[in-house]
Amino acid sequence: MTFKYLKFWIRTAFLFLFRSGRSTVTLSLMVVMAVTVLIFLSALAVGINDAMIRNSVGLYSGHISGFSLPQSLDTQRLKIHGVVSVLKRISIPGILSKGNNIQTITMVGVDPAAELKTTAIWKKTVSGRFLKNADRTVFLSHQLADKLEVQPGDSVRFGLELNKNQIPFIVSGIYKTGIDYLDRGIAFCPFEVLPVKKHTWEAAIFIREGFEPESIIAEYRTLLPESAGFHSWKEMMPDLLQLIDLNYISMGVVTVLVFGVVSLGIACAFVIFILKNLREYGIMKAMGATPGEIGCLIVIEVILMNLAASSIGVLIGVVLVFITNHSGIDLTYFTSHNRYFVVSGVIFPRLTFFSLCLPPILALFFSLVSAIWPAAIVTRRKAADILRSF
Amino acid sequence: MIRVQGISKEYRSGRGRVRALTDVSFTIEKNNTVAVFGKSGSGKTTLLNCLGGLEQPERGKIKCFGVEIHSLSEKALCLFQRRNMGFVFQHGNLLSYLTVYQNIAFPLALNNFDKKAISKRVHELLEKIGLAETGPALPYELSGGEVQRVSVARAMAHSPQILLADEPTASLDTDTGRDLVQLMFKMGREHGCTMIISTHDQKIINLADAFLPLRDGKIEKEDG
Repeated sequence: MTFKYLKFWIRTAFLFLFRSGRSTVTLSLMVVMAVTVLIFLSALAVGINDAMIRNSVGLYSGHISGFSLPQSLDTQRLKIHGVVSVLKRISIPGILSKGNNIQTITMVGVDPAAELKTTAIWKKTVSGRFLKNADRTVFLSHQLADKLEVQPGDSVRFGLELNKNQIPFIVSGIYKTGIDYLDRGIAFCPFEVLPVKKHTWEAAIFIREGFEPESIIAEYRTLLPESAGFHSWKEMMPDLLQLIDLNYISMGVVTVLVFGVVSLGIACAFVIFILKNLREYGIMKAMGATPGEIGCLIVIEVILMNLAASSIGVLIGVVLVFITNHSGIDLTYFTSHNRYFVVSGVIFPRLTFFSLCLPPILALFFSLVSAIWPAAIVTRRKAADILRSF
Repeated sequence: MIRVQGISKEYRSGRGRVRALTDVSFTIEKNNTVAVFGKSGSGKTTLLNCLGGLEQPERGKIKCFGVEIHSLSEKALCLFQRRNMGFVFQHGNLLSYLTVYQNIAFPLALNNFDKKAISKRVHELLEKIGLAETGPALPYELSGGEVQRVSVARAMAHSPQILLADEPTASLDTDTGRDLVQLMFKMGREHGCTMIISTHDQKIINLADAFLPLRDGKIEKEDG
């Protein structure tokens, strides 16, 4: 079949679709709806996973957690391509006491201003306030505060050993994250008031969207001494990683089921649409159009309609995702007690190449599959049989 | 020359087996016009369909200009039809999604004519059938007579060797039917086309070079 000849059949298919008016519009609407819904559902699934990662790493740990970093290492050296910010932290074990109440804790020295800007732990304050630079204050978990029986404004003492070199601190605030390791034996204070000055440090490293933590870690390993260690959020939170995989799979199953149901409707409509034009195909056959050409005409009709309907569906889907990506979808009511949404329950649907391409491909695939049966009827029946039935 | 040798055709329907044609044989010389006539159900349409390759007879042979059409493969038969045959159906059977122009152009495009040749030929035919202004119209906008005239133009567009017309005037009034037949005969003779027309109309039978009376699927009397 030459291009000129193919052009003739494409034109004929276009005229068939264009002049079928309402049938084409109705059938196209089904495809448009299916593609739009699928794109939005896929983007929503990606958005939910993004939110879980963002919430989990944004609260405290960052995408990458660095440890045993030498004291001489500057945070700037960790700010390589793809890294948004690096927060320095120094953890020292010690004893926090108030009167007869004594607790073994990890005191984490932080830069309060940087923490306020980058992490969300301060948002989990249940009483009092977060730290201020150079203030001799501590920010305690609610469990620790309960055990020590302290309130914001109370005085506590911290030392590396019991009853030895104890330094007084004022409780600035109490937080509650709902995450075990943060809510148990941790207290925060500004770097400047930490009793230890020489120490290796830890880092919470936040990376840009689209960058993989593993590739950043690989680059760090080439730049830094071997003693420096790094963990990605995937290593630190295998439960979250598993949940994301589960979410993708369940969303995939839902997507296929939804499309399966929709495609049945599309298939029925396609069968009716093609058989509606049976007389036309019969006339063409009587004029000498081969079964192959008639089959080709039907396939071109299906492809043309899908191209148009899928384009509109993709456009509407993209616009919907764009709007909801800017405004966000607030699901706080459903996520407020979920530890993967500790910071915010707002979801920002996001498009990926996969979520954008899969729905139109699925629509075309199901349409072509559903066109096989009516196309077989049309091509197999004799022109005289077809024309006799009208 | 069209040579038909002992063709038979049977249909299975709710009423059992219906014998549409029984051992029909005849020969039509090139450029002749033959009227096939008979009562309703006598097998006229089946005969024309078999001659045009639209239906396969159970027995017998049909040779059109040296080609035994029912021994051809499906694709080869289609190609033979599109090059050598033109059909005029009882109700016109224009492609309803295509304009008058596009309907007439269809067999030309099937036969790979180029755009200029198609345009020239279609305009020429539209002039001939007296519908020069109706090129952009869709079939539903035409009267019954106009539809049939377009149908004739479409059948003649690619200058086929054989024109098969199945009761082309059945749905038309007497005057319109007469005009249509005159037009068809004129165009067919201009192109040196062998025409086979099924009809009830005695006037058409009188215009033909020969006639073929059918009764219950058999030829009553052979002439030509």
